[in-house]
Amino acid sequence: MHVLNRWRSWVWVLPALALLLVFVYYPIVENLRLSLYSWNAFSAHPVFVGLDNYKTAAEDPIFWRALRNNTVFAVTSLVFQVGFSLVLAAVLEEFVHQRLRGILRTIYFIPAVISITVAGILFSFLYNPQIGLLNRALGALGLVSWQHSWLGEPGTAMWSIIAMSQWQSIGYTAILFVVAIQRVPREFYEAARIDGAGRIRSFFAITVPMVREMTTLITILTISGAFLVFNEVMVMTAGGPSNSSQVLGTWLYRNAFLNDDMGYASAIATVIFFITLLIGASQIYLSRRRRIEW
Amino acid sequence: MRSLTRVGASLAAVVTAVALAACGTPSTATTSGKQANLSTPKEKKGTLTMVTKFADPKYAPYFVDVTKAYEAANPGVKIQLEQVGDQPYKDKIRVLSASKKLPDIYFSWAGDFANKFVRANLAADLTSVIGPDTEWGKTFAPAALKAFQTNGKYYGVPIDLDAKYMAYNKKAFAKAGIANPPDSLETLLDDCGKLKSAGYTPIALGNQYGWPAIHYMTQLNAYAVKPDTLSKDYNPATGAFTDPGYVTALTQFQSIVKQCATPQANGLSHEAAQANFLNGKAAMHYLESLEFLALTTKGGASKDLADNWSFFKLPASSSSPGDTKALTGAPDGFMVNAQSENAALAVDFLKFMTNAQNAQKLTADIGWLSPVQGSATSSNSFPQLQEALTDMGKASQFAIWLDTVTNADVANAYLSGVEGLINGATTPQQVIKGVQDAAAKAKKQVG
Repeated sequence: MHVLNRWRSWVWVLPALALLLVFVYYPIVENLRLSLYSWNAFSAHPVFVGLDNYKTAAEDPIFWRALRNNTVFAVTSLVFQVGFSLVLAAVLEEFVHQRLRGILRTIYFIPAVISITVAGILFSFLYNPQIGLLNRALGALGLVSWQHSWLGEPGTAMWSIIAMSQWQSIGYTAILFVVAIQRVPREFYEAARIDGAGRIRSFFAITVPMVREMTTLITILTISGAFLVFNEVMVMTAGGPSNSSQVLGTWLYRNAFLNDDMGYASAIATVIFFITLLIGASQIYLSRRRRIEW
Repeated sequence: MRSLTRVGASLAAVVTAVALAACGTPSTATTSGKQANLSTPKEKKGTLTMVTKFADPKYAPYFVDVTKAYEAANPGVKIQLEQVGDQPYKDKIRVLSASKKLPDIYFSWAGDFANKFVRANLAADLTSVIGPDTEWGKTFAPAALKAFQTNGKYYGVPIDLDAKYMAYNKKAFAKAGIANPPDSLETLLDDCGKLKSAGYTPIALGNQYGWPAIHYMTQLNAYAVKPDTLSKDYNPATGAFTDPGYVTALTQFQSIVKQCATPQANGLSHEAAQANFLNGKAAMHYLESLEFLALTTKGGASKDLADNWSFFKLPASSSSPGDTKALTGAPDGFMVNAQSENAALAVDFLKFMTNAQNAQKLTADIGWLSPVQGSATSSNSFPQLQEALTDMGKASQFAIWLDTVTNADVANAYLSGVEGLINGATTPQQVIKGVQDAAAKAKKQVG
């Protein structure tokens, strides 16, 4: 009976396992292998080139710029989508009146349900140097010298995209934090108040440590999301001007489908894979270690 | 815990097995030198697959209509038409060719894009049916056929004629006191000053995705560099880009940007810039003849603009060593899959698509010029379109778009370099240095 049960459980697991193998593990292995060849969609004879594609990446200034842009994206997202969102969630829960709370939560959450492409186009209008809301607003405030061709200048293009992404994601992560905060037993706060702790003290002494698990999760999601970013950049600048807003995803795409250098694109994909793998592994490690039970 | 280890072990074993199984060569196009039989099939039967890049609702219905008409005339034939957008087409066709799922008929730009299919043996040699001396070939403008010629063989069926022109607002020119359109680059730059004083943006330029600036460079390179040098440099196997004319062309473009173009052009899309021309704020706009329809009332322009625009070819500098009669543009076309079993049927359908009636329908329905001779008449087109056709007839040759005629690395170096030029971040010398490096890399890959 025991043996039969074990086999039965295998039968249940097998379809999922097969799907994973075919659609996740096989492509990963295949991609690793292809990154060792020089080939494209039209090439008759793929040439084995060993680690040449990785060497090309190491010597490619745009690859490094893309990596830097991803890193900047990750760090900024961390500040806003984890740090700022947590504060926002705490403020929503602690300071705002019950009736207003629901409305505000909805308002913050709305950007998250807008498709990235739509949001990208929307922000392209906002950033339009001639008729865009942003430049018009700056002009109205007399800050003409602050006006920019936001998506058209190498210095501002990446930051403009990052800003759009923060606008879209803060609400989402804030709602996740709200859920986590609601799970914290109210007695803790009451006890702290009796002990004379103010709201700010309560935030640091109770809220922050009690939502640690959620913080870890959101941190991992945010960072790995920042390294996988593609749509926002593609819609708003396609990596330009002068490759200043390339990220690893768009540089991979450009090499694969426009430069016909699939081997190099596979090498970039492998780099992205290892970065996200590292982040994923650290999530598993950290969330095991820090789990709080009550 | 024990069973978990076991699952892990089996998983590792399977992953390894898959990895080993995958150790062949990457699956790419085959290169058998099979030559498709192109003679008109006795019995027209079967299913044809076709992919175009004309998903734009303005253009898509024409292709749907033509395929339906062919199906109606040949009940045994079914055509599976798939139309995608311009950018997605570039991905899709690569994925299809890598996975050996190339359709029987597929779209191609002229230049290196088409040559990639030729080199990989994916494009059928159509010389026997569409060569300039054949019955079908004679119906086309020779320059259009030539755009799809490689090593003396003809691989493409041109579907439209497209050239780049500077459209101008006659009212704006009159207000600025400009009697005639400029006949040299120097006059153009002068006129820009006058137009600015009259309160206009001289040239509406939106370069958000890079290619609009590339079209200027295509024309300016053709003017500033001798044709032989140009074709040598545009060939990835021999490209060097050391001729001083390239720097001259970039410097000329820099002057156009500084003195004429919309400021901050990198932050504006081509369409947003076009809106400035349509609403009368900008006096000129560099656009393709395929876009001319947008400047007519049928295409949505105001009557005020539609009645008051004309166009001229971007003028050459008075001291240009290159071919001053070259015209930026190229026909787009369709190619036939060399491995297709329906190649003959595909050719028959393309003959149908480019017969006199359907060529006239192309101009009447979507405002494109057809490479089929005599297809634009006063009844199916508007005056500017006919003038464009006459002007294309005067051109010595088409200067094919710089970003499709050259190798992709060179094209990218130009794209990002010229964007920097617009921002003022790079100099013409720096741009050409980047292009030279890319050309050296391309030479190594091809050679």
